[in-house]
Amino acid sequence: MPEELVAVYADPDEALRVVLALRDRGVAGAQVSSPAAFPVVHEVEHTGHSRTLGWFALGGGLTGLGCAAALQVVTSRSLGLVVGGKPIVAWTAFGVVMFELTMLFAGATNFLALVLLSALARRRVARAVRDQVSSERIVVVVPLGGLDPQRRAAARGVLGDGLAEALP
Amino acid sequence: MTEASLAQIENDTVATMAGTTWRWWLGLAAAVSMVALGGWAWSTMLRQGLGITGLDEPVMWGALITTFVFFIGVSHSGTLVSAILFFTRSPLRAAIGRSAEAMTVFTILTAGLYPIVHIGRSWLFFYVLPYPNQRQLWMNFRSPLTWDVFAITSYVSVSALFLYMGMLPDLALLARRVRGWRRPLYRVLTLGFAGTDGEWRLFEKAYPIFAGVVIPLAVSVHSVVSWDFAMTLMPGWHSAIFAPYFVAGAIFSGIAVAVLLLSALRRGYRLQRYITAEHFDLLAKLLLAMSLVMTFVYATEFFMAFFRGSEAEAQLFRWRATGTYAPIFWGVVGCNSVAPLALFWSRVRRNLPALIVISALVTVGMWFERFLFIVTTLAHNYVAQNWGNYVPTLRESLICVGGLGWFLMLFLLFVKLFPCMAISESMQSRHAADAAAGAATPEASHA
Repeated sequence: MPEELVAVYADPDEALRVVLALRDRGVAGAQVSSPAAFPVVHEVEHTGHSRTLGWFALGGGLTGLGCAAALQVVTSRSLGLVVGGKPIVAWTAFGVVMFELTMLFAGATNFLALVLLSALARRRVARAVRDQVSSERIVVVVPLGGLDPQRRAAARGVLGDGLAEALP
Repeated sequence: MTEASLAQIENDTVATMAGTTWRWWLGLAAAVSMVALGGWAWSTMLRQGLGITGLDEPVMWGALITTFVFFIGVSHSGTLVSAILFFTRSPLRAAIGRSAEAMTVFTILTAGLYPIVHIGRSWLFFYVLPYPNQRQLWMNFRSPLTWDVFAITSYVSVSALFLYMGMLPDLALLARRVRGWRRPLYRVLTLGFAGTDGEWRLFEKAYPIFAGVVIPLAVSVHSVVSWDFAMTLMPGWHSAIFAPYFVAGAIFSGIAVAVLLLSALRRGYRLQRYITAEHFDLLAKLLLAMSLVMTFVYATEFFMAFFRGSEAEAQLFRWRATGTYAPIFWGVVGCNSVAPLALFWSRVRRNLPALIVISALVTVGMWFERFLFIVTTLAHNYVAQNWGNYVPTLRESLICVGGLGWFLMLFLLFVKLFPCMAISESMQSRHAADAAAGAATPEASHA
């Protein structure tokens, strides 16, 4: 298990001050788990895949578009529909279903991507630490690996009383 | 009323799920009774056929299709308004977004029942689904009725996912807090969401994308429902204005129903601290704006009917206002165009009982408005020898009442099982408001 310091704060602003102070003292890699997207969660460094979500949604949307087009064109051609002289492949009419499935697939893919990438993202934080989060408990984790003794001491000093609040 | 602390927001929301009041039981009993009545009426229809309804040539779409269109309309505004409020960073969203999204999901689930009921042989509804079959029948992708199937299925799926996605942070909080059978349920439903910074970063990217998907989908679904009518050549229906007219009407009726639901939640669970008079004031202004839009649309329809020179169309609109259904027509004008004008006065907007009465009038008015344009066109079509009237039978009306009960039952069960307010988002809003207030004070600026 990696060596780390865990501190808990009730006030989102205090957690933010701690994270900023850690950064000022050259202590990098702090992680925050929070019940809401308070400003403190935006202040920590990120190495996640958040930019890829849009690409997933785009890919899903294009897949939906393709599926809708294929469904309508292929079945209309193969089933010998009576269309009274109108075009068998009627893109204007098919556009509605294509739009609906584009949106459906884009939304569903976006959600699936969120679930999968979130599962990857939260692996950085131990389960015992994640379970400490509540409406009045914002958890700040400082990995100590690679920190020299001086920075370790600085980190302990910055985390202060929050260290005592963390559950064993 | 003092502002709530972050923990109190969670406590108050959990209290809505934990405590079961007599009002909730009364509401559930009323809803279940309505479902039972509607279910009985539908069962007689399944055994005896569509003959138990008032449907007959030339009016083959009546109260059931009216209820379908009405519920689709109500469903429209929940998710749409919630998504728009998200993009505009409105303070309304934290208070009303969750209930509005739940309203959308349950109304569209209710709406989807009515075409199935209306076809009579409900057990054959799967004929409209695209799958390889041995009947040598295939759905017609040129038909707006087929578009409906895709539009409604997509909308209910995306709306349900939107509601669920927004609840993930709250479910994570609840999974750690509650005991008993709810705990494993919420643990499963969180899908592992724990609130780490990486997850929040992803969540804050995914949610706007999803909201961006929801808005055009919401507009499209009601446009598609309007095309069920507008793509025909019937007088009163074949109009280019129908899609925006339906969308406006949908938002109008949805806001009215949202006011009714929110006022019930506020009273029933003592949520005055969260669903405030300012929120109702904003909703009332929105209701008033949509009422003016609807009045403009009604006037445009009449103007175009007389201006464009189609005798059948002009005669139909004249008949709507003066014929058999004239009391309904003027009732609709009174409910949808006249009554909401009272909202120009801030005293009325801030008077909750008055706002509830106006919202109830709008809700009833919008159902009858749908009824009016569906039935009168069919009753007074191009062929004078084929004119006739339609009155729904008691059993047909009971099926409609059953739908209302079904929606209310689902909503009441939802507020008992899941947080009716967005806990995480409310905490975020509260913190942002406190920070803004702190920054505004001179002491804080000095510090």
